Amino acid sequence: MPHRHSILCIIPPYMMHEIVMNGSPEQRDFALRSITISEQLRAHRRTALEVMSFMGARPVRAGKKRIVYDAENGSKLPGAEVRQEGDDPVSDPAVNEAYDGSGITYDLFFDVYGRDSIDGNGLRLDSTVHYQKGYDNAFWNGQQMVYGDGDEDLPESERMFNRFTSALDVIGHELTHGVTSYEANLAYWDQPGALNESMSDVFGSLVKQYQRQQSAANADWIIGEGLFTANVNGIGIRSMKAPGTAYDDPVLGKDPQPAHMKDYVNTIEDNGGVHINSGIPNRAFYATAVELGGFAWEKAGQIWYKTLTDKLAERSNFQDAANLTFETAGELFGAGSLEQQAVRTGWSEVGIAAGAGTGENGTGGTGSGDGCFTAVLRAIGLAK
Amino acid sequence: MTKIFFERTGGFMGRKVNATIDLDDLPDEQAELLDDLLDEAGFFELPADLTRPAMPDAFTYNITVSSDERQHSVRVSDATAPDDLRPLLEELSRQARMRR
Repeated sequence: MPHRHSILCIIPPYMMHEIVMNGSPEQRDFALRSITISEQLRAHRRTALEVMSFMGARPVRAGKKRIVYDAENGSKLPGAEVRQEGDDPVSDPAVNEAYDGSGITYDLFFDVYGRDSIDGNGLRLDSTVHYQKGYDNAFWNGQQMVYGDGDEDLPESERMFNRFTSALDVIGHELTHGVTSYEANLAYWDQPGALNESMSDVFGSLVKQYQRQQSAANADWIIGEGLFTANVNGIGIRSMKAPGTAYDDPVLGKDPQPAHMKDYVNTIEDNGGVHINSGIPNRAFYATAVELGGFAWEKAGQIWYKTLTDKLAERSNFQDAANLTFETAGELFGAGSLEQQAVRTGWSEVGIAAGAGTGENGTGGTGSGDGCFTAVLRAIGLAK
Repeated sequence: MTKIFFERTGGFMGRKVNATIDLDDLPDEQAELLDDLLDEAGFFELPADLTRPAMPDAFTYNITVSSDERQHSVRVSDATAPDDLRPLLEELSRQARMRR
């Protein structure tokens, strides 16, 4: 796993201040950039703002570098370069959507979580549009994002899908797969795979909410809104708020996502149902965010981001994710805090007890403690 | 006679489409196209499992071709398919999407 901004952990804010005041131009740039990155870290926030206002400096955007390619309906990747960072919009909407969408996704990760691109180190964001003919999909191939045009090759009366760049959360979803591959690197099957998918839906949805400046209560929590044509009876591909209700169509069938552990789907298809069972952690995030109120990318997003980057591992399952988001909430906001309680509530909505089985590390206050306490009360007949 | 069993799973939506195609039932032109695409892909010489590493949201394709003399199955994904196989995947996907 790469070490991101590790220098921030070593150089205290006052020293950054010194570098800005007395350093060489390069050192100053670096310090200002680092201070900008660290803006989200509470401990550094005040200093960063003070230093920047003192210097009259504006936050420096570290490394947003985008290239959009056109596969011209073939399969060869990346294809012909059609737009790069700083270029004006072109006449092809798919190109502009891929460019703008990856830009907004970069902004969410940078502005809110202090992350400089997919790898945390300014990795260039490559996207290819117009992949194949009738390709009703988008994917992350380990190096770049790839988008098809839907089923534009069918007669209009039979088309069900629009181009996949048309939904901003799809772009955020694909790019987040890149982030996950550099961090927890969740295996792409069974529960780790469904968590991988859920992380992409979570941050994909947050990109859309961030762009619209929508609160958790006002967001639609639909993934892939606008991907279906008018021929389909559905509002989008998935619903994080109510998994299983996004579509119900004579041709496509019904949205197969479960909203609770009791409905977990055991299957060997789709790498063990990674796009099906992701409904469970998706809803846990939604429920946590709504419980907390305000903008979902702030507290709930922060908890999930830190869990993805610092805690989850290749084989983590849903229970691990519940325990680790609970632990992270305790670290960020305090054991027993409202934030930590909201995480527990979120997971309990889907039938998973967060914090169960985790002991020490100082975060189990309201966690396993409650469980033990209740168990004792039950034993002496004071609780059911 | 040659029969093709085709199934596409996974993808952003996790939706399955499939088709069973009997080349004898097709107009000559379409049957020849599929024959050519199978040849071009070197289908019968391909390894049976080409699905790893699994890449997020890529489609997984299962193809079985059986004729009087031989039968062969291949599993492959968008991220791992050999270039020569891609035109066949695209054509079979098209047919599966149209046959729904």
